[in-house]
Amino acid sequence: MMDNALPEGKWARAGIVGSTALKVGLREVQHKVKRPFMSVERQQEDKQTLDDKNAQLIFNALTQLRGTALKAAQMLSMEVEILPERYRKELEKSFHQVPPLNRVLVRKVIQEQLGQPPEYLFKSFNDQAFAAASLGQVHHATLPDGTAVAVKIQYPGIHVAMDNDMKLIRKLAPNLPNPQMVLQSLEEIHARLLEEVDYAHEVASTQWFAEHLQLEGVHIPKVYPEFSGARMLTTELMAGQHLEAWLSTNPSQAVRNRAAQNLYDMMAISVRQLQRLHADPNPGNYLFHADGSVSLIDFGCTKQFAPEFVAILPELLQAFVMDDQELTLSLYRRLGMDHHPSSNTWYPEVLRPFAQWAALPLQASSFDFGKHSTYTSQARDIIHKLAHNTSLDKIANDFIFFDRTVYGLCKIFERMGAEVRGRHHWVSS
Amino acid sequence: MKINEQDKQLTKVRILAAAVDVITIRGFKNATMREIAKEAKVGDATIYNYFPTKEKLLYGYCEYVQQQVMQELKEISNFHEYTLQEQLQQLVETNLRLWLPAREFLQQVFELSFGAPVVGFTHIEETKRLFTAMVVDMLDAAMEAGEIPEQPYRELLPRLFWDYMTGIMTYWLKDNSEGFANTTQVIDRSMELITAILQTGMVGKLLDLVSFLFRTHIMAHADVLKSMTQAPELVSAKRRFMEGK
Repeated sequence: MMDNALPEGKWARAGIVGSTALKVGLREVQHKVKRPFMSVERQQEDKQTLDDKNAQLIFNALTQLRGTALKAAQMLSMEVEILPERYRKELEKSFHQVPPLNRVLVRKVIQEQLGQPPEYLFKSFNDQAFAAASLGQVHHATLPDGTAVAVKIQYPGIHVAMDNDMKLIRKLAPNLPNPQMVLQSLEEIHARLLEEVDYAHEVASTQWFAEHLQLEGVHIPKVYPEFSGARMLTTELMAGQHLEAWLSTNPSQAVRNRAAQNLYDMMAISVRQLQRLHADPNPGNYLFHADGSVSLIDFGCTKQFAPEFVAILPELLQAFVMDDQELTLSLYRRLGMDHHPSSNTWYPEVLRPFAQWAALPLQASSFDFGKHSTYTSQARDIIHKLAHNTSLDKIANDFIFFDRTVYGLCKIFERMGAEVRGRHHWVSS
Repeated sequence: MKINEQDKQLTKVRILAAAVDVITIRGFKNATMREIAKEAKVGDATIYNYFPTKEKLLYGYCEYVQQQVMQELKEISNFHEYTLQEQLQQLVETNLRLWLPAREFLQQVFELSFGAPVVGFTHIEETKRLFTAMVVDMLDAAMEAGEIPEQPYRELLPRLFWDYMTGIMTYWLKDNSEGFANTTQVIDRSMELITAILQTGMVGKLLDLVSFLFRTHIMAHADVLKSMTQAPELVSAKRRFMEGK
C-alpha cells in the first residue's frame, strides 16, 4: 500500500524534484569533467547515454508524482520521444493510475457541483467506480427518467495540484535534451491540461462534436449538462468495449479493418473539414462495438487547428510522399517552423527519414498495419534523432497535435492488425 | 402559557443563526445580546431564557452543528457499509461543509477557545461530547465487525480524533486554495494514515513503549530529578505557577 501512496503536498513533491535535479546536475558535472579526454564522437555518444540516464531519473521522479505530472510526462513522451522505450511502457501502463476516490470524496464532489448528494439527484447511483478516467473515475447511475448514464468525477483539488506540478516539471526541463522544444511543448500541454480538468469545457466540446461530426460508424455520447459541472460530467452510457477486451472477442479482419477505418476517417475529416480534432489518442478513449463502429468517450482534449495549417497539411504530406526536399522545406517555413540546418546532412539524415516514415502509410491506397507491425516503433529512433539534432526555432503546435494523434492511432491500428486506407484523404491522385 | 417543544426548538435555531450573523459582522467582543435578539426577532428577555450568556450562544452553535452532522450521517442510507476510514472521513468532511456558511464565526470560536483555554475548554465540553460519541460509535461498530482489532486505550482514541479534527479545522481556516482543495487533500491522505494506525493497533503499541520507557528510565531517575528540584537556588529562580493570572 505504501508503495502506491502519493507523495503528500507540494513540499514532498518539491523534495522529489529537488533531489532529481541534484542527481541530474551531478551527472552533468561528471560528463563535463570527463569531456576533455574524449573524442568528438565519444563525446556525442556519451552525451546520448547521459541524456538517457537523465530521462531515467526524471521518469522516476515523475512516476512518484503521479496525477497530472504523470499525465504531462506521458504527453511529453509522445511528442518529443524523450523517454527510452521501457520507461514509456511503464508510463503507458500507469496512465490511468490516479488515486481512487472513496465514497466520501465522490459524494463531496457531487454535492459541491450540484448542491445535493447523489441520492437526491439520481434514481440510482453506484458509489463504486466502474472505470478509471484520466484524472478521475467513472460511475454508473440512472437519471430520474430511467436513462442509464456514466458519471465522471474528478479527483478534488487536482486542478490546484496541477499548477504546482507544472511549475516543478518546468524546473526539470533544462536538463532534458532539446530544452526549448520541451518547454514549448510544456506550455501547450499545460494549456491542454487546464482544459482537460475543466469538464464544462468538455461538455461544450462533446456537444460540438455530436453536432458537427456526423459520420456513420462513429458514435458520440449525449451529454446531460444539468447533471454536469466543472468537476463532474454526466453522459449517456455507451455500450461497446475497450480495445483489449474487444480484441479478445476475436473480431474478424473485416470488422477490425472497419473499426480502424472509422477511427482514421474520423481523424482526417476532423482535421480537414471541422479543423478541430479529438486529440487524445489514448486507447481508453475509444469504445469498440461488434459491428466495427466506434464510440468516442472523452472530449477532454480537443485541438482547434489554424486554417493555414489545415490548408498546408495536405501539401506537406504530399511533399513527404513525393520526397520533395525543396517543397518540404518551404512548407515547413510556411508553417512557421523555421530551421537553420547546421550542416548539409541535416535534411537527408534527420528530416528526410521522418518524412519518409510519415509518408509510408500514404504511399499506396491502403496500408496494412498487420504486415507492418513495427511501424510506430521504427519511428522512435527517427523522432529521437529529430528531437536531438533539430535546429528548429519553433515547432508548430498544430503539427505536434496532429503527429501525436496520428502516432497514437497507428499504435492502435498495429494492435488491431488492421488495414487502413489513408491516402485518399490527403493525396489527390 | 406553555410553548410547545417544536416551537421552542425553532426559536433556538433562529437565535443561533442570528448570533452567527451578528458575531460574524461585529466580532464576539462587540456583539451584544440585544443586537442578537433583535436580529432573531425575539424579546430582549426571551433570549436569556434560551442562552443566559454570550458564550453559551457561541458554543450553542457548535453543538447545533454537531447535531446536524449526526443527522446528515444518519440520512446516508448505506453509511453502515462505509469502511471505517470512509465513515471518519465523512464525519470530518460533513463537519467542514456544515461549518462553511459560518466559517468566520468559527474563527471567533477558535480565537476564544484557544486564546483563553480554560474558559473555552469548559464551554466546548458538550460539543466535544457530541462529536466523540459519533467517533466512539464508528469505532465500536468497526471492532464488532472485525474491521479493526480491539484497541487498547480505547477511551483515548475518540479524544485523539477530536484533536485531529481541531487541527484540520485550524488548517482549513488558514487554507486559501481554491475551494479549500488543499484541506481536502490533507484530510484524504491523513485519513489513510489514521486507518493504518487503527488497523495495526499502533496507538496502543506506542503508548506501551512510552509507558515502558517512562517506568524504566524516567521513574528510575526520579531521585535525580528530586534533588534537582530541591536545589535551593532553583526553587527561588522559578516563577510561581499562574503568577499574576
